[in-house]
Amino acid sequence: MTVVFSLEAPYRRAYELHRLTFGQGGPVVAIVAGLHGNELNSMHAVNLLASSLQVQPPRGTVHLFPLVNTFGGDEGVKRWPFDDRDLNRAFPGDPRGTSVERIAAALIEHTEADVCVDVHSGAPHVRELPQVRAPLSGRELDLARAMGLPLVWRRAGEQLDGTGLVGAWRRAGRAGLHVVGGRGITLDTEHSGTLARGLHRLLTHLGMSPAIGPAETVADVTRVEIETHRAPCGGFFVPEVRVGARVKPGHLLGYMQIPIGGDRIGELRAGRAGVVMTVRAWPMVHAEELLVRVAATP
Amino acid sequence: MPQHHPVIEVELPSGDTVSVVRRRFSGGPGPRVAVVAGIRGDAPEGVRVAHELITFLSGVEDRLAGTVDVYPCANPLAAHRGLPRWPFFDSDLNRLFPGDDDGHPPERVAAALNRDVQGADQVVEVRGARAAFSEVTQAHVRPGEALAAERALRLNVTVVWERTPGPAASSTFAHQHPGAIVLEGGTGNRLTPGVGKDLTDGLLNLLAMMGVLGEGELPFHWAALARPILVHDEHVQRVRTERGGLFLPALAIWKRVEEGEELGRVVDPTTGEVREIVPSPMTGRILAIRELPVVFPGTVVARVVCT
Repeated sequence: MTVVFSLEAPYRRAYELHRLTFGQGGPVVAIVAGLHGNELNSMHAVNLLASSLQVQPPRGTVHLFPLVNTFGGDEGVKRWPFDDRDLNRAFPGDPRGTSVERIAAALIEHTEADVCVDVHSGAPHVRELPQVRAPLSGRELDLARAMGLPLVWRRAGEQLDGTGLVGAWRRAGRAGLHVVGGRGITLDTEHSGTLARGLHRLLTHLGMSPAIGPAETVADVTRVEIETHRAPCGGFFVPEVRVGARVKPGHLLGYMQIPIGGDRIGELRAGRAGVVMTVRAWPMVHAEELLVRVAATP
Repeated sequence: MPQHHPVIEVELPSGDTVSVVRRRFSGGPGPRVAVVAGIRGDAPEGVRVAHELITFLSGVEDRLAGTVDVYPCANPLAAHRGLPRWPFFDSDLNRLFPGDDDGHPPERVAAALNRDVQGADQVVEVRGARAAFSEVTQAHVRPGEALAAERALRLNVTVVWERTPGPAASSTFAHQHPGAIVLEGGTGNRLTPGVGKDLTDGLLNLLAMMGVLGEGELPFHWAALARPILVHDEHVQRVRTERGGLFLPALAIWKRVEEGEELGRVVDPTTGEVREIVPSPMTGRILAIRELPVVFPGTVVARVVCT
């Protein structure tokens, strides 16, 4: 483990940005997790990959950053605790700027690679099927599909917001992928394992690691192929499905009830066949909030 | 009687609701001025100014020649907790404009507020100081907006800053409204004696200048108002620390400072060792100084303006 950047802290030992490097030469892959301190699946997935690379070093170089926001991780919070800034809105960073801008600049500097992957968990209030988000076409989409994750979500906006890590990588001319799985503030070992296998398949695709099991992709969609269910009113949402469940039209996805007394005030039913890709995990919901997403399956 | 109008009512999961409201004072066909406060919940100075404005206007509404719309608190749940962001979603409302009617509650609030303010002849957003800072009263306008700058110079602030919008500006409330003026001053998440009154007097003076309020109604003499200096980006420098620790300011806001003079120092909080003396980059006055002492390398601790 190498400390590639450090930053003096007022009341504790200095912040350190840790990098694990496996193998040498090209191609070079950089995988980042824990930009958000409460996204445990991402950290675990990268550490699972590290375990495998220790046993079977790659052909080429793999840089792993399992936990960037160590201070946020210590406190179980998403953002950099000092000034409550989102590290993933501080890119491309500034080596003479604020603390998060300095960390962001260091991360950009030390992820000089052919392919870069930023791994996240879902938000704390939703659970996401392990997925990779990629542009509508091009090499990054090929790389995303090679991961064999359960869901490939093709999205417009190839450059993304340059203040985010993936957007900053793409603006720097690097292939950048955005991977998400599970839910924030919760460790789900099954989803973490799925994410780790996806990362491994990417290395296989690049000729860096031996093949593992077959691809697990069940849906490869754009926005129009995703059915989104939102809360019709404020209330308490009770899901009746889990992410990864296959549903047919009319399948009961969940229901709304009033939080005091529990009277049922509405039901959500699938309008199309597909796989459940997102489920609301925190049941107290405001009107119009996301409850369930169903991705169309072939 | 002022009209009390809910701009949007947000239904909460528990069955409760929370409203963003507008108080409209309308006495004639003249210009319409919109004053918006509390977009972030840790800026009570703006909410106080809105309160003072409402109190005053309630007594003169029948003599107004135009309309004043006051939005006392755009982010009521955050203000309830004294936090900058909309709770639960942890969203910065001032990064969600122009908003989305089909989005989550903060986005819908942004859309509703933005729509309601449209058409005003002058939009003023009233904030307090940024969290952690003490700041002189100041009005921000965009470069090239001469009318806004002219009006801002009558707002009884210390400084009018023609400030180039930053990278996040396009998602802020003020940016949606050409000619908008942003008022700041005081201390982060606190009320500062005198600041609320200064900003309220400035707003009343603006109303008089625009013909909404008769000059005879002003509760002060115009000669008592401050005469701000107009500055541009090149006149203002941000000062950062190079070390982490506790920043102990040496000077208060609006003190004169010479180039190289100590603005403060960074000390080790446990040993007392002085890690850094932070000098002023130029001769001028202190526009803002950090009062929350914990700093990392790169933390902004002061703004100095060349006068």
